[in-house]
Amino acid sequence: MVRLPIPVAEMEAEETAESRKISDLALVRQAQREDVGAYDELVRRYQERIYATVYHMTSNHEDANDLVQETFIKAYRALKTFKGDSSFYTWVYRIAVNKTINFLKQRKNRVHMSLNDVDHNAENDPDLVALVSEKTPRRDLNLAELQDKLNGAMLKLSEHHRMVVTLHDIQGLSHEEIGAIMNCNVGTVRSRLFYARQQLQAYLADYLKLCNAI
Amino acid sequence: MNSDPETFEALRKLMALKRHEQPPPEYLHQLPDTIITRIERGEGQLNLWDRLSANFSLRPSLAYAFGLTVCGALGLSVGYMVRQDMTHPADLPAEAILRGPVPASAFASQFKPANPPLHVANWLGNTNPAADSQLELSLFNTSHTALPVSYEPGN
Repeated sequence: MVRLPIPVAEMEAEETAESRKISDLALVRQAQREDVGAYDELVRRYQERIYATVYHMTSNHEDANDLVQETFIKAYRALKTFKGDSSFYTWVYRIAVNKTINFLKQRKNRVHMSLNDVDHNAENDPDLVALVSEKTPRRDLNLAELQDKLNGAMLKLSEHHRMVVTLHDIQGLSHEEIGAIMNCNVGTVRSRLFYARQQLQAYLADYLKLCNAI
Repeated sequence: MNSDPETFEALRKLMALKRHEQPPPEYLHQLPDTIITRIERGEGQLNLWDRLSANFSLRPSLAYAFGLTVCGALGLSVGYMVRQDMTHPADLPAEAILRGPVPASAFASQFKPANPPLHVANWLGNTNPAADSQLELSLFNTSHTALPVSYEPGN
């Protein structure tokens, strides 16, 4: 039986697919042997989610940037203590959450929002399109104003309540995952989420009435 | 506070906006390189205390165990020192320990009253020279004595 040579493009595609298949744990083991390339891959896998969490907590891009860098650097230095009891994802999230909460406790009274731009897809989002439609009773209401109000309301929540809302309602994590990340039980996660939503509803009452009217 | 399903649905819709907030373009492409460069530069090296606190933040039970160990060690060392003091009082000679408690009069000879000062100002403002005359010593008039004198009215 004659073996046909595999085209280069196909080989490259296979290699890429293979590299994606490398588990987090294998990459962690390599990174523990000071393979910085393996750690680079781990950073690329989780940077977006970690950044988003920290950004939604701080409502400030510069602070989020600093905290994300420090989180990944601290995680690399502490990688030897990672035994694999939880997933790398949960472990690095835990570092980010602790770092962010500590930072926010120190920052407490000097809140300065530096919000990221809303992408152009937002205007087509079915949930948001009605809010900024020309036919709404508040035509002056635009996405930037809404974004400002929403972030302001988020910042009024306590750090732990804000974290639960961020992880669940924005990031879409399950109660169990949040419990593992925040080192608390599922009941605590549920009650914090309930309380945080009530608080947000109170802070944003005017805007929510508008949503209901639409 | 309002928690009806309609308002919650409205809140859920509003929260959708947060998912559309994006970092500046190219930011996420550059971030891994920045992090790796900082790691290669040796930033964030952990000292002993950092390593301990990293472990503690990840495993609170380890922090409790460490705290208990430190408290236990402190308690034991204090207990040991107290027992040492009770069994070997350092200041008394061995004979004194054998004799038992020493009466206070035994120490009286060791304590002599200090010499009175040569001149003590009368801070209380007493102008009667007869009062406390013995305390009013002077460098120059050591032989003078003050005698109380009384005058009968009408003379």
